[in-house]
This record gives sequence, C-alpha cells and structure tokens, in this order.
Amino acid sequence: MSGLAILGQNVFSGIAIGGVYALLALGIALIYRSTNVTNFAQGDITMLGAYALYILLEQLGLPYPIAFLLAIVVMGIFGWLFQRFVYYPLRNRSFLPVIIATIGAGILFQNVALVVFGSIPRKVNPVFASGGFTVGGVYFDLQYIVILVVTAALFVFQYLFFEHTSLGKKMQATAQDKTMAQLLGIPVALMIAFTFIYSTILGAIGGMLVAPIYFVTNRMGSTLGLKAFAACICGGFGDVRGALIGGIAIGLIEALGAAYIAPVYKDAFPFLLLLVFLLVRPQGIFGEKVSEKA
Amino acid sequence: MKKRVFACILAAAMLFCLAACGGGSTETTSPATDAPSTDTPASDSDVIKIGHIVHMTGSAVESGGYEKNGAELAVEEINAAGGVNGKQLVLVQEDGKSTNQGSVAAFQKLLEDDEIVAVIGPSPSTQFAAMIPTIDEAGIPVATGGTNYSLTHSDCPWVFRFRPHDGFSAQAMVRYAVDELGATKIAVLHGSDSFGVGGYDLVAQYLDELYGMEPILDQSFNNDEKDYTAVITNIKESGADCIISYMAMSPDVGMFATQRLQQGLDIPWIGSPSVTAVAGRELAGEALYGVYAVSDFHVDGNEKATAFAAAYEEKFGREPDFYSAWTYDAIYCFAEAFKNAADLEPESIREAILALEDFEGVEGTYNFDENGDGLDAYYIVVNNENNIEVVTKIEGNR
Repeated sequence: MSGLAILGQNVFSGIAIGGVYALLALGIALIYRSTNVTNFAQGDITMLGAYALYILLEQLGLPYPIAFLLAIVVMGIFGWLFQRFVYYPLRNRSFLPVIIATIGAGILFQNVALVVFGSIPRKVNPVFASGGFTVGGVYFDLQYIVILVVTAALFVFQYLFFEHTSLGKKMQATAQDKTMAQLLGIPVALMIAFTFIYSTILGAIGGMLVAPIYFVTNRMGSTLGLKAFAACICGGFGDVRGALIGGIAIGLIEALGAAYIAPVYKDAFPFLLLLVFLLVRPQGIFGEKVSEKA
Repeated sequence: MKKRVFACILAAAMLFCLAACGGGSTETTSPATDAPSTDTPASDSDVIKIGHIVHMTGSAVESGGYEKNGAELAVEEINAAGGVNGKQLVLVQEDGKSTNQGSVAAFQKLLEDDEIVAVIGPSPSTQFAAMIPTIDEAGIPVATGGTNYSLTHSDCPWVFRFRPHDGFSAQAMVRYAVDELGATKIAVLHGSDSFGVGGYDLVAQYLDELYGMEPILDQSFNNDEKDYTAVITNIKESGADCIISYMAMSPDVGMFATQRLQQGLDIPWIGSPSVTAVAGRELAGEALYGVYAVSDFHVDGNEKATAFAAAYEEKFGREPDFYSAWTYDAIYCFAEAFKNAADLEPESIREAILALEDFEGVEGTYNFDENGDGLDAYYIVVNNENNIEVVTKIEGNR
C-alpha cells in the first residue's frame, strides 16, 4: 500500500466521519443561536435516531427510504416533545438549569435505551448492500459516500431554507433577537419549537447515517456528542459555517492522528485541538469577539 | 400547570429509578439456598455448603447467568446421584454486582457463614484480583475462571483456576501461527486495556522463547473504536502475514472483521476467545468466516463436554459456553476433593485438590500444579460458516 493511498484512505474516512460531527454540531449551533443554551442531549438524540432506524428497518422490515423518512417524522415529533418538556418549562430561567436539564435528559435516554434494547449492539444494514469500491488502493465505502452526500445536501438545504423562505427568516430573526422578533409579531415560542424539531432531526439523521458503521448501542451518542460540541467551539459557537468546518476538522485530525501518531490517542486529538482553540482563539474560526450578547 | 407537568415527569422518572433499584435488590436479598432437590436437611451436618459469587446485577450480568447455571446444574446432578459421602451439596449465592468492591463484599458476606467450606469466585480477572488479599487472610479454597496470569502467581495458596491462563493462549496462538500457518511476520492487534497489553507481552515473550522471533507490529487501539482505517493501514504497511489479536469486546471484533475485508486486508487471523463469541459473530457474519481463535471450551471437546452441553440445553434452553463450563467443573472438582479429603478443613481440601490426577472435566483434564492452575491446553478453533469447529488442541509448557 503506497503512502499516498494510506493518506487518501484516512482523509476519506476522516472527512466522512467529520460530516456526521458537522450535522450534530449544526443542531447544537442552531439551538444555541435561538435559545442561548447548549443542548448536551444532542449526542443521545443521535443514538435514539439510530434505534428508530433499527426498529423500522430491521425489526419491521420496511424498505430503506420509507424507514428513513418515517424515522425522521418520529424523531421530529420527539424533538417537539423534547423542547416541550425539557426546554419550555425552564425557558425563563437562566441558561444553567436548562443545560443541566439537557444533561439529565441525555442520561435518561441512555438508560431507557439500555432497559428497552439491552446492552447487545444492534446491526443496521448500510443503504447500499454492495459495500464499496476501490480506486487507486483507496477503499471508498458507499456508506461514507452517503454520509458526505447527505451532509452536503442538508447544508445546502439549510442555506436555502434560512435565506430564502419566510419561515426560515422568521426563525433567524428569533435567533438574532427574541424581543424584537416578538414585537414584529413573530410567534417566538413556535419558532423555537421548530428549531428544536429541526435540530433533533439533524442529530437523528447523523445517527441513522453512522448506524451501519458504528453498530447501535445506548452509549454510541456520548463521544459523538462531545466531539460535535468540540467542533462547535473550534468552528465558532453558534456559527453555521463553523459547525461544518469544525466538524470536518475534528474528523480529519482524529483520522490522521490515529494513522500517523497512534490509534490509542485517537479520541485525544479532537480535544487537543479544542484546547489549542480555547487557548489561542476561544471564539473559534468564525466567531466574533463578543463577550456577552445584549 | 406547566410546573405540575414537569413535576409529574420528574416524579415518574424517580419512580422509574426506584423501581429499577428495587428490582436489583430483590434478587440480591435472596442468596438462594435454592440448591435443587435439597429436601430440608435433618441436621447441618447433612449438607456441605459451597459459596458462589455471581454477578446478578451490573455489566457482567450475562456471563454471570452462565456461571450460575453451570454451578447449579453440577450441584443438581451430584445431589441426584447421592451427594458427597452421603451429604447434599448446597450452593449459597451472593451478588458480586459486577464490581471489585461488590465482589469483595460478597466474599466477606459468604465468610460469615462458617459452614461454607469453599467458594467459587467471579470470572473477570480484575474483580478476582481485588479479592486475593481477603482470600489470603480467610484461608479457604476459592475457584476462579479469570485467565490473567497473575491470579495464580501472587503467593496466595488458596486460588484454584479452572481455565487455562493467558500464557497458554498466547503459546497456542504463536505455535499455530508459526508451525501450521507458516507465519514469519506476525502483527499483534490488541486493546489498550490490561487484558490487551498483557496479551501482547505474552505473545512477544513466547515468540521470542519458542522461535527467536519478534512481532513485526505492536498495534494497540482503544476499546469501543469505531473506525479501524488507521489500524488496518498500519497492518498492511507492516507487511504482516498473520494477525494475532487480543480484543476484549465483541462489537470491536465485529467492526474490525468487517472493515478489514472491505479495505482488502485478507491475511490469516488468530484471535483470543472473544472472536468466537455469539455477539461478535452476529455483527460480523461472513466477515469472520475462516478466522481462527483459541478457546478453552468446546461442546465437542470431549465426551463429558458433549453430555454437559446436552444436559445444559435441556435445562436452560440454550447452548452452554465457557462461563458455565468452568463453574460446572469447579463444583465437580470440589466434590471429588471433599470425597477424598480426610476432613473438610481448608488445608485438607486444598491438599485433596492438588492431589487430583487426570480429573476429567468438560473443559479438559485437570492436573493442578502448586500454583493452583488446573489446565494448560487450548483448542484452536475455526469459524466454518458460523460453526465453531475444533482444528487442534495445543498443550502449553507449564
């Protein structure tokens, strides 16, 4: 295996996994922008999305597109319930109780999944059964390509939706200034609910995309969520481009670090990057130097 | 109203937690004196009690179940055949809670019962290692199924091991790789935990001792790794012609097996026993076909094993594995020692166990050395389209 092929193999898998981090980071960023709180349950929502796909696809035997869409609908409803019972009752409190509530919700999700599904990992088949192909010594896993395509499509959708639709603009306005949005007659609570639903769906899609690669367990979301959080900080908290760039940077640095330094420290590299950012550029790549929002 | 809804959810969550805890403790508070077919004994001297630390709660609950079943089956058979010197065996079970301190506490609780003459410990090596100081102090024979080399080499004369230790598995893998597969460049893939690192050290030691070779690659990874691209490219790059692996977790086995083939790494692979575990095979499917492993128990290993497997399947509705095999053997060995011993004092039992010669068990033929190691042989098995078949049996140098 040539040096170039080794590099190519690791870059490819790094970017693909980074795409998943980016999707989760995007969900965290959107919620942060509209509510000023961080959703630490995002990783566990990913896990629930993977289980939803597992039930619909493997247990009920539905075809892939239907199972995928149905899982999105189910998780969308779940996103609404999540904001209704975790965020909404605490919406007028400071950010700390809300963050603790999301951490608590994450722990609850993990343990409920353990009770319901047990500790044995579940297998979900990839979108394309054929697996992948090899070009120039680099193996291209079709599932990784699916991850890249879906991530790219979602970021394009995101851009079009927020910049070119009335609903998207209302959601943006809510994110920028809740009071002003309210004065303009935008139903702020509804917009926040939409944001939670959309973010939950993003996390769940991330989970469904990695399910065939990771196997589905109740703990699969915890490291995913933490790395997405690191991606958010590196990219600039609450920034959409930052989520994308941060996610892919985290994916790449862990893949290359594992390949060229040592696989044992794989999980350490993203957090090393995080530390560097916190020391050198705490506002992240795209962040603005603002200490406190008015 | 909103507050009430939230309070209701909180209350429900708390109830849920309470219910979960409650479930755990009811199990533990019944340290079953449920030795089957024990009719209430006329006097205490009519029974011989054996303590058993079983993980009934926590992460090792699945293997704990197998251990419990194996021991109960042996006690039931021995009692049905008239017991030991006319006395019925009684199993006293305590929950080890899958933790070090839980196991030590369970052992201490068993020691409170003066009638218990021997104890069966939990399988995981770390938990058994935690118990050793207490065992040394208590001075009664304790059986283990942990394979970490140090358990029987820590100057505690009361530990008896009913599975071959990791030194023998490393020898078996190295010998098969070099002698039968003709490997000259062996890559060792192992977890970064004590099991994996210890395994690597033993493989390196025996490669050097037996063949004057050294591993071409020392490749470690963290348990729960999801993407083996870096590991696979490293192995390819090293030019290895055989992989020896110490992986502790089934999902890791499943994932590595699948990704290695996708990325075109198709060289012979001999793994530690987890490679044959059902969970890993279900995840990996065809990707594990043709892969070799070491295994200390096989249902077709000997006649006793076959009979045991049939009895086990009839009673519990599924195939036994090595967890149930070693507790079954431990009970039979203890019973034989009780029969031969002058009395039921710890020292007499210990001497009787050490004096056992070629004692046939379902795991193999037991001959205990002064360290308390009863077995020294591993099977090399192969996954033939999801059937685990014995290729050969390799005895280790003690």
